[in-house]
Amino acid sequence: MTEPDKAKASGKWRTRFLAAVGGITAALLSLGYSVSKQNATDTVPKVGVSTLIDAGRWNVSILKASSGPDLPTGLSVSPGLKAIVVEMLLENISSESSNLYGDLVMLSNFPDTQKPHYYLLRDRSILWDLQPRMPEAVAAVWEVPADLELPPVLEVRVQGVQFKPRDNLYAAPGWFPHGDVAQVSLPLSASEPGNAR
Amino acid sequence: MRHVMRILAIVFAALVLAALQSTTPPYAMLTGPIRTAGHQSDTVASATLSLAIEDISNARTIEYEHFGKAMKLETSGVWVVIDARLQAFRQTMPIRAATLVGASGRCYRQSERAAGAPDSLAAKTLQPGLPTTGIFIFELPEDETTDMTLVVSEQYDPQLQDEVSVKLDPLVAAPQDQLDLGLNGD
Repeated sequence: MTEPDKAKASGKWRTRFLAAVGGITAALLSLGYSVSKQNATDTVPKVGVSTLIDAGRWNVSILKASSGPDLPTGLSVSPGLKAIVVEMLLENISSESSNLYGDLVMLSNFPDTQKPHYYLLRDRSILWDLQPRMPEAVAAVWEVPADLELPPVLEVRVQGVQFKPRDNLYAAPGWFPHGDVAQVSLPLSASEPGNAR
Repeated sequence: MRHVMRILAIVFAALVLAALQSTTPPYAMLTGPIRTAGHQSDTVASATLSLAIEDISNARTIEYEHFGKAMKLETSGVWVVIDARLQAFRQTMPIRAATLVGASGRCYRQSERAAGAPDSLAAKTLQPGLPTTGIFIFELPEDETTDMTLVVSEQYDPQLQDEVSVKLDPLVAAPQDQLDLGLNGD
């Protein structure tokens, strides 16, 4: 083997070695990232009843839960259904009126995954926009079959949203999902017909 | 020396590209509204619509009758009711979007709670050449009412469409306890 050939061979090995190191490093980083992400999603902070939760665009305090045949409007649900009513204090802390609270709370120990309907308790009617800096008592209502066995304690998960000054598509400001920010264990009481707010 | 020059050239190119990227106008701004601004004493006109303020009142409670049902709406802040005259110039258009920008710069959309109020402009459609009067109803914290701007357009977040804004005079009167808006739906 001549001198240039030797140099060529060692250069080839060096390239392969660097490629291998780079590949293994990338694999390890990716593994570490997914493991840490897995841990992070498992540790949603548990928060007490009536505690203020910062969910990005919303400040929310979960107050109480009840189940019964009445909606917050005073009307009854359709026959064969019952309502799970979770009352909360909700404040819009963004800079504009918004009705994008549909994904704010979900029940994690409950098979039903539909989004709740929201009611404004002040008017006993459907909730539309929430105005900034004007906290309101509202109720999130899930309608479920009347014979469904309900857990004695509801696990309510609050999902946060995060502000981005420029989104990736239009470079416009907006709010984007940011994962669960809190979990509240809420005792579920049964309300008598006619007693619903 | 050649190495140094090469590195400097790469750094310089990166800086130029970063500057270009950070100053590119965003798509949302390029396709944003076409703004026309004015003062409360003027009729503010854009190419497609005009807006004139006739009266402003504020109250703690508003009342009206909606399909025979008495409605009484309370608020933790104040209700601001704006009497306005709108006119479309070119084509039939609804005015779905009305926003009051408060003293803090926050945007308060017209209240859906009072959507059934009589004479509400949100429920009307403008016909070209026919001036239309009516009210916009807003709900906002009292400290926001010291400096307000009304912003009106055909729909919220207009893109390449007219948006007319009117700077309002500060409210001098303290809010009334209740304001009767009259009958609706009969």
